[in-house]
Amino acid sequence: MNRTLIGFIKKELTQTLRDPRMRVLLFVMPVIQLTLFGVAISNEVKNIRLAAVFDSRDTVLRDIYERSIAGTWFIPAKSEEQDPYTMIEAGDADAVLVPPPGGFTRALGRGDAQLQLLVNATNVLQAQSVEGYLQNIIQQTIKDDLNMTPPDLPIQIDTRVLFNPDLKTSVFMVPGVMSMLMIISTMVMANIAIVREKEMGTFEMLISAPVSRSEVIYGKTIPYILLGMSNLPLILAVAVFAFQVPMRGSLLILFASALAFVCTTVAMGTLVSTYCRNQQQATLAGFLFIFPMIMFSGMMFPLENMPTVLRWISYFDPLAHFLGLLRNIMLKGGERTYVITHIVYLAVLAIATVIASFRRFHTTLE
Amino acid sequence: MSSFVWRRAAAVSRKEVFHILRDPYTLGAALVLPVFMVIMFGVAIEFNVKNVALAVCDSDQTQSSRRLLDTFGSSEYFLIHRVVSPHEAVTDVSAERARAALIIPPRFEKDLFAGRAAEVQMLVDGSDNSTVGPVLGYVGSIQSIASQRIAGFERPAPYELRTRFLFNPELNSRWFVIPGLTVVVMSILSILLTALTVAREWENGSMELLLSTPVEPLEIVVGKLSPYGVLGVIAVTFVYVIARTVFGIPFAGNIAVFGLGCLLFLVTYLAQGLLISVMTRKQTIAMQLAMMSGMLPSNLLSGFIFPIESMPKFFQYFTMILPARWFMRIARDTFLEGSSFFELGGSFLALSIFCVLMILVATRRFKRDLEP
Repeated sequence: MNRTLIGFIKKELTQTLRDPRMRVLLFVMPVIQLTLFGVAISNEVKNIRLAAVFDSRDTVLRDIYERSIAGTWFIPAKSEEQDPYTMIEAGDADAVLVPPPGGFTRALGRGDAQLQLLVNATNVLQAQSVEGYLQNIIQQTIKDDLNMTPPDLPIQIDTRVLFNPDLKTSVFMVPGVMSMLMIISTMVMANIAIVREKEMGTFEMLISAPVSRSEVIYGKTIPYILLGMSNLPLILAVAVFAFQVPMRGSLLILFASALAFVCTTVAMGTLVSTYCRNQQQATLAGFLFIFPMIMFSGMMFPLENMPTVLRWISYFDPLAHFLGLLRNIMLKGGERTYVITHIVYLAVLAIATVIASFRRFHTTLE
Repeated sequence: MSSFVWRRAAAVSRKEVFHILRDPYTLGAALVLPVFMVIMFGVAIEFNVKNVALAVCDSDQTQSSRRLLDTFGSSEYFLIHRVVSPHEAVTDVSAERARAALIIPPRFEKDLFAGRAAEVQMLVDGSDNSTVGPVLGYVGSIQSIASQRIAGFERPAPYELRTRFLFNPELNSRWFVIPGLTVVVMSILSILLTALTVAREWENGSMELLLSTPVEPLEIVVGKLSPYGVLGVIAVTFVYVIARTVFGIPFAGNIAVFGLGCLLFLVTYLAQGLLISVMTRKQTIAMQLAMMSGMLPSNLLSGFIFPIESMPKFFQYFTMILPARWFMRIARDTFLEGSSFFELGGSFLALSIFCVLMILVATRRFKRDLEP
């Protein structure tokens, strides 16, 4: 590495880190955010307000209700309303159990028991889980209360969850939030760094200075790769020590994949910056890229369900590969073929974007 | 000090409109982004997991085991591929070639015919939150279907649970996601664009210039923000129209109630954007701060995908200080539940408080910062 380049990188780093607020944003905020989102966000179903309409003689339904409330899923709903539908509509309850006329217990004795469940399905995911969970509780309660032991099913499926047996949400979510934080800090920062010079008019000065073009490009990208990488140990430490996300694979491989990822995102940021004239444009463009990237990464929505054409897009999504790698390396110890394939994908993406951004950069410089 | 004059505010906003129009790229992005997002989300999102890759190791190779596999395969939930050993099945799961593995032991049919419990093993990948929950749910129903088909076993059902899913009877994922998108789209456009545009004036030094003109600070604020408010309204209209026409999402409520919520939320976020820009005066920092205080919370803490009720107690209270949380409630409930203004009274009250508070703080800060 020559001296001009080192000087350039130093200048870029100083310029970014000079502002103490920027230092806080770059190094403290990701840690706070990861902690915040890691603690707060989950897909677990909790605190669903359940109501049941029963009189004192309806012992089975009472037991079902009490059992449901005893767990973490449900809390009792408070409502002055009597009509189950109105209860939900008024927002006092999320789910209501309605027995047949005469009570559920008596209907069970008659042998034609129908229990109605009303669920607020505004949140699709919750509604489905609530139904399944209540189904189980009802079965159990009927079995215990009426001493009915239905014969076991002839086929038994012994289900085990691998890699995250307790289904801890933080184990799922933390790698996702990690990769999201890294993409925001690298891609947008690199993009803006160049556009700012353009906007200020200092870019012309840079070009007329005795530095070669590749020095400009390297000088404008390497600092952001370094910054992005410096974030990784910080958020990794929070993930492992604060959230007990296991780290079963090799740190070295994790860093290698992070490097490939950060190179890609920084190069993408640079590529986008060649099309932008001011920072407002740059930020918007950043979003146009980052949003689909998050969508197609499989962090929030299952990739399995997307139409095939859209799933192909995920092959071009560095975030999808990186999230896959993070999860595979951290939770599964890094299966060799998978890790190699996806690092290669990332590397190809990195090289392609670097070449493309070099090209674009050269044309804009002329 | 002269009082607020609309003509001067209008002049500032005309200048800002020219500024936006001169830059078709920003305008385009600001209008394309919401459309693009709604269509993408609408097409791509489906929470009901299908075609989960299932690695199967069938060591039994009998008619019964094949029928069990048929049950798995014909359910639409699973896409089966065969492997030769249990070990390979597990490797497939760790190499992400399969999300779950089914291992059928050699004595499966023998056990079944002998009337013993025929046991198979199912290993589910716990590293992917979006599939593990649904897969665990499917296994139970497949178990009873297979028991009935293969062994002719009917479990006596002492009761029947009839579930009515209110407001979204077919459990359509789009109905759940797209109304919430209005919040996300607006939070991007309003807070980010204003934070940047005002910060740019500071950064370029043109703010001092503007202030030395006879225009009052409040007029500058109103003038600069209103074009972005209009932009936000246009974006929401786009989202609304696409949601209704392309994806057929019902709108059960009163459009005026929804509109009022939109406006309150928009003004709150515009004011927040202004506050950020006054505090930072630098676009890079303004952007980061806008993301942290506006974007990420409205995506992750507003109940858009991750329910607020599932958060720890502290965060349930914490989300109350986020305007996005209240507007999310208004947007969803007016779309799906058809809630009236009074039913949403709490949300409107909270949103109005934030709105007034944000405007007060932002203009205060803005005025104070002008004095040297």
